[in-house]
Amino acid sequence: MVFRSIVRPLLRASKPQYLPARSPRCFSKSARLTESPSQPSNHERTTHFGFETVPEAEKEARVAGVFSNVAASYDTMNDFMSLGIHRLWKDHFVRSLNPGSSSSPNSPGWKMLDIAGGTGDIAFRLLDHATNINNSPSSTITISDINPAMLAEGKKRSLATSYANSPRLSFLVANAEELETIESNSIDLYTVAFGIRNFTNKEKALREAFRVLKPGGVFACLEFSGVTNPLFDAVYKRWSFSAIPLIGQLVAGDRASYQYLVESIEKFPKQEEFRDMIKDAGFMVPGKGWEDLTGGIAAIHKGVKPIEKP
Amino acid sequence: MATRTRLARLWPLSKPSALPLIRPYHSYDHPPPPGPFNPTESSILEAAIPHIPTHGFTHTTLSIGASDAGYIAASTNLFPNGAFSLVHYHLYTQRLALAKHQHIISPPPREGEKPIGIGGKVKALTWERLMGNKEIIHRWQEALALIAQPSHLPTAISELSSLSDEIWFLSGDTSVDTSWYTKRASLSAIYAATELFMTTDKSPNFDDTRDFLDRRFKDVQIVGGTMGSVTQWAGFTATAALNVLRSKGVRI
Ligand SMILES: C[S@@+](CC[C@H](N)C(=O)[O-])C[C@H]1O[C@@H](n2cnc3c(N)ncnc32)[C@H](O)[C@@H]1O
Repeated sequence: MVFRSIVRPLLRASKPQYLPARSPRCFSKSARLTESPSQPSNHERTTHFGFETVPEAEKEARVAGVFSNVAASYDTMNDFMSLGIHRLWKDHFVRSLNPGSSSSPNSPGWKMLDIAGGTGDIAFRLLDHATNINNSPSSTITISDINPAMLAEGKKRSLATSYANSPRLSFLVANAEELETIESNSIDLYTVAFGIRNFTNKEKALREAFRVLKPGGVFACLEFSGVTNPLFDAVYKRWSFSAIPLIGQLVAGDRASYQYLVESIEKFPKQEEFRDMIKDAGFMVPGKGWEDLTGGIAAIHKGVKPIEKP
Repeated sequence: MATRTRLARLWPLSKPSALPLIRPYHSYDHPPPPGPFNPTESSILEAAIPHIPTHGFTHTTLSIGASDAGYIAASTNLFPNGAFSLVHYHLYTQRLALAKHQHIISPPPREGEKPIGIGGKVKALTWERLMGNKEIIHRWQEALALIAQPSHLPTAISELSSLSDEIWFLSGDTSVDTSWYTKRASLSAIYAATELFMTTDKSPNFDDTRDFLDRRFKDVQIVGGTMGSVTQWAGFTATAALNVLRSKGVRI
């Protein structure tokens, strides 16, 4: 395919950019890299990086590179990808979750965890809804991201909100696949928006989500997905594969990162498949398991952790 | 009586007690379809129902149900339709509960008394179903507002038609001719109109609702098993119901 031949050299050319991100400071899992240095490369576990197949450990570093590269301009990127409506999706996502709702006025509020929370976009919305709609000033949220640069951006942005330095808001640098600092059965709501497709091992991340959630707690994911109408799909693919990387180059001067983002969306499991992954992790799913947004450009998946049978 | 002759004709081999097993559109070879709610959903909804008189058909009631069933408020995410699930559950369980009125469905024969006919049973069961709303009728307009939302309307309409079907079936009606549709349509219309009337009824024991129901049945002469210009009447009632809803501020 044409874009491959264009992109490969670009990706290769941009590789050195990713290298600094491999420092252990950022990645708990970089240990794996050094564990078995003598392992022949053809035995290494591989995963998708866009349409490229790369060793798992390398993907993490590359993903981090992508987000470091687009950190400043990533709202622009989301606008391109979603045809400008990701904000509406996020609002809908948060409204449908109804955070902070309760059965009595003196309930302790929700303990929430926003994974791959990047710049805090989802987290601030969740807190706003809990506070203003459900009158739950005791609800709290932890914003977690693997990338300290993204989290720093989130901290900076939080200063402009009413949650500046509030005890209701905390930050945690962590890989979604290894949340060992978070207690089991402690979270009411786990959200991940436009993040999970970047995870190296999605099953492992789902198992961690299951572990940290309280029985009855909710896993909720907002992600680009499979466009359901074939014609719209063809048009959207055209747009995303040719226009977005080009715009990325013009606006952010970084074609390769945008190319990865587009490809990673295409690689992400389709709605049914992801629903089944959620079930396999032990969750109950509401209704058919997901809700399509804007013809399936994005979808909301939810799962509820069952309570133990007495 | 008309109903009795029909029974004799259609059921040459029947023992009357076996009647409730026979259902024109239900197959004998297949188990009944699973209900609309899985066990977890049912446990939460069942726990929520007693809170409707106080908290209404609302998300709060759903949250209380979740916590009473051992879940947490966040678990209400199991219900993509939110508070409408309470309405749906109420409609569904009240419909199924009709089968327990055996004194109406197959009353023990009494010396010297004419047995109650199909029409009489239809009326009695319709009344029992209305009485299933007794505890929540002051909240029913919240339910109607939820029902009126386009995404919920198909479920509510299909529940209503299942209700008439259930009532005719439990009453022993087994006709498969064209009256099948008119009977069900007119009973649906009668039920919906009377339910609406009941939301505003302040009379003791819902006496006014009872009178209203009687008049509706007279309108369609349903009792003898025949019906007048039902379709026209049903259409009129549906329009009237819509107008009443609109006047209550429901946007439909
Ligand atoms: C497109 S951003 C989404 C940000 C935000 N949730 C939003 O909706 O705007 C994806 C984020 O996922 C983070 N990420 C990628 N892999 C991760 C992992 N394994 N664990 C945690 N976060 C990860 C990236 O650092 C990046 O901040």
